[in-house]
Amino acid sequence: MKLVLDRFAHNALALLAVTTILFFMFRLMPGTPLAAFINENLNADQQQAMLEQFGLDRPMWQQYFIYLGNLLQGEFGLSFFQRRPVLNILLEVLPNSLILTLASLIIAYIFGVLAGAWLAWRRGSWIERVAVPAVLATRAAPEFWIGMVLLALLSFNAGWFPSGGASSPGLAYTNNWQRIVSWDYLHHLALPVLTLALYLQGLPLLLMRSNMLEVMHEEFVTMARMKGFSEWRIVIHHAARNALLPVVTAFALGVGLSMGGNVVIETVFSWPGIGRLLVQAVSVHDYPLAQGAFLMIALVLALMNFVADLLYMVLDPRVSHGRKG
Amino acid sequence: MAERAEPVLPTRTGWPLLLVLRRMAAMPLRDPFAFTGLLIYVLFVLVALFADQLAPLDPLEILFTKAGKLAANVAPSADFPLGTTNLGRDIYAQLVHGTRSALAVGLSAAIIVAIVGTVVGLVAGYFGGMADAVLMRIADMALSLPFLPFVIVLTGFLGASTSNIVFAVALLLWPNSARVIRSQVLTLRERAYVEAARVTGASSWRILFVHIAPNILPLSFVYAAIAIGWAIITEASVNFLGFGDSTSVSWGMMLQDAFSSQALSRGQYAWFVPPGVCIILVVVAGFFISRGYEEVFMPRLRGR
Amino acid sequence: MILEVDGLQIHYSTRAGVVRAVDGASFAVPEGRIVGLVGESGCGKTTAVRAIMGVLAENGRRAGGRVVFKGQAIDEVATRKLLWRDIAYVPQSAMSSLDPVYTVGAQLVEVLTKRGNASRRAARTRAAELFDLVGLSESRLSDYPHQFSGGMRQRAAIAMALALKPSLLLADEPVTALDVIVQRQILDMLRALQQRLGLSMVLVTHDISVVAYLCDDVVVMYAGQVIESGPVREVLARPRHPYTMGLRNAFPDLMSDALELVPIGGSPPDLSDPPPGCRFAPRCPFVLAACTTSAALIADGGKQTHASACLRDDEADSLRKAAMDPATWQRSSNFAMS
Repeated sequence: MKLVLDRFAHNALALLAVTTILFFMFRLMPGTPLAAFINENLNADQQQAMLEQFGLDRPMWQQYFIYLGNLLQGEFGLSFFQRRPVLNILLEVLPNSLILTLASLIIAYIFGVLAGAWLAWRRGSWIERVAVPAVLATRAAPEFWIGMVLLALLSFNAGWFPSGGASSPGLAYTNNWQRIVSWDYLHHLALPVLTLALYLQGLPLLLMRSNMLEVMHEEFVTMARMKGFSEWRIVIHHAARNALLPVVTAFALGVGLSMGGNVVIETVFSWPGIGRLLVQAVSVHDYPLAQGAFLMIALVLALMNFVADLLYMVLDPRVSHGRKG
Repeated sequence: MAERAEPVLPTRTGWPLLLVLRRMAAMPLRDPFAFTGLLIYVLFVLVALFADQLAPLDPLEILFTKAGKLAANVAPSADFPLGTTNLGRDIYAQLVHGTRSALAVGLSAAIIVAIVGTVVGLVAGYFGGMADAVLMRIADMALSLPFLPFVIVLTGFLGASTSNIVFAVALLLWPNSARVIRSQVLTLRERAYVEAARVTGASSWRILFVHIAPNILPLSFVYAAIAIGWAIITEASVNFLGFGDSTSVSWGMMLQDAFSSQALSRGQYAWFVPPGVCIILVVVAGFFISRGYEEVFMPRLRGR
Repeated sequence: MILEVDGLQIHYSTRAGVVRAVDGASFAVPEGRIVGLVGESGCGKTTAVRAIMGVLAENGRRAGGRVVFKGQAIDEVATRKLLWRDIAYVPQSAMSSLDPVYTVGAQLVEVLTKRGNASRRAARTRAAELFDLVGLSESRLSDYPHQFSGGMRQRAAIAMALALKPSLLLADEPVTALDVIVQRQILDMLRALQQRLGLSMVLVTHDISVVAYLCDDVVVMYAGQVIESGPVREVLARPRHPYTMGLRNAFPDLMSDALELVPIGGSPPDLSDPPPGCRFAPRCPFVLAACTTSAALIADGGKQTHASACLRDDEADSLRKAAMDPATWQRSSNFAMS
């Protein structure tokens, strides 16, 4: 459909803009332009190879196209400090970030939707008057601070959870999948997910609540009442179904936004994800790795924006089915 | 018929600036939450102004006990209401003085976001055409940048001065404000009184500033209030990650300090809980105030 | 009488005080007849009708009066059994009255299965029948509400209302939002359906021409009260209440040649602070001192043939003659302005 292509183009262009901005940003960094991709840690041969691969001796605009070409082939360069291809490093840690993000969002959204709908139903009660500011407070707290408090309380103090990392030292697994579904991994995942979920639930909660309040006043809900349907059917089958639509798209957007925002959570819990990698790379000035990590986050963001657009188109009949007249 | 929320935007003559300002000043009086938010702001501003009087100790001064030893990690006491840090610094003094940098960051970011967002929204909405297309494209680009990573990369490579942080935050927050203001301007543009002004020969600029701008002032305020909170949290996050200026006194640095000095494992709650609470208070105050203006100036369906 | 409304009162509590949207309305609907409920906007006609369905805004309540359907009293929350099975509602704006995320067919089936105890298969058959009844193609059942045009949506709304074979239909401005040609079609269809199915109907409208075209009886409301009722030909040809006389002047005369349009000066009273006595008194050209202190409401549950809530009812014939002269209204309009 034309609409789909339109949204795809829009998001692809946004991504292109980001990569371009990044390109110029890194070239304007302190130090010689060469510093962005080569450094003394590499020997002369490697340096020469890098020079040629990235065309660093060529004019800027040529470099730009070489850069784009490389990106499309998945060539992100070599990490200064790890001496390995950046892409490999990124792909190693990407699953950790994805799991953290998805697990937290799913929990946050399930809770948020139910609580939001319930609060809407309880309109005007004292519970609502207390709950809404309380939820706003959870959105006002820095994620990492919530993490710190929980870490102190539940890990250091109570000893219920490990204090960081994704696995305990000394454990070996046959493959990645085994590692992820192991109890040890989940045990390590618990606190970060709890923290993130606590922080994230505010949005779906408030969104669902406000959507429900709006929808409950729509004429078709009143009509459903006049037809004599049970309250259950009215609230769930009609009101909630309509109110959920923006929440679903928010979820998709949330995945994209979270990938970037998880930076701090991953640092607090030493969770080996892309965010933490970015922070480490930036602090040691490992330019290729920092650039790669940033781009990967931007890619997920653009991708999820596109997914959100698609979801909206598919779930809302007013968009998916055109007018017939 | 069912009660309707009053439509707040004018229908015929538009609102002169004074009336808008009066209404904006009156809003907190009606909304207890916004009023609380305002109180919180006032409180923090006072603390920032009188920081020296409230906390006479130098927040960065390394203190020693009477016996000559480093007064490190002292528990909260009469001398040190919140105890001391790993390096023997008074936590309470840091908290109080941290108010200054928080407010400075928050307010400067808010002002920039308000100005840029409003101007862009006005120009894009009113003049339309090429200006609109270009400005909105730029806004889209800014929105597609991952927020925190971008701030990190910027401060990590360019240096972590407060102004860099403020700049980065403002760069990424203005699009939302601009978009909403733009759509509001589009609505206002079609209103009768604007037409009337145009017909009687008022210049575009006059219409823009006298008729349209006052009506979107509350919106600028809403987004400015939100921006304050975001800026403070972002600055705290950046500092926490270690990209801040370690000689500065801020709540974010306090948290960074506490974290890296293992305050968590020592259960030194008096160190890391108060800065977080302060951040929550200031940000929530911003939320309440912006919500207050939103309820009044952005008409919604009935039943809210 | 299939429906009797006696002294109905619906009040809303607002910040400005209590708004008495319906304040003593009485009328009756004979079985098998179409009764037009007419009045200007804000007179309480929609409120009254929706209240019968048990639907009120959050701040509204039934403050008094009785509603009796087939001999049984309907309480404030219209006895759920009756809803849609005996009394159904046709809304003004069919677009917003259907859930946008389900097909129209699915919503019909929903009513038929959940409220009508039909099996899914039987429901689908019946849905097709209903569409056929209102002149819609069966293939349209799988379309979403936004895919229908205005007139078709109204037909769908009528099909929805008839789903459970009610005996009373409450239609709230069913043709107001449509263009004139489609209006005619829908009205004709309503008449045909009413005759075929033996329905009783209450048709709420502000348009007298609709009443004249379709209705058997008419009930005129003003400022929350019923001020005249009776057979439509009778009331329109020989109105007995000054307001009705003025209304008739405000619309082109339907039964004889058009006279000049004469609007009634002034505007309806504020229902949070209605004037004592007759509510039309401030605008009435025939007002007496007594009118401002005591009101003559239609008593008797509206069972009289042609009733009028005017103190000067016995002088109706001579007043009517005067009402036909525009000058009468000119004077009162000046009066009303002061």
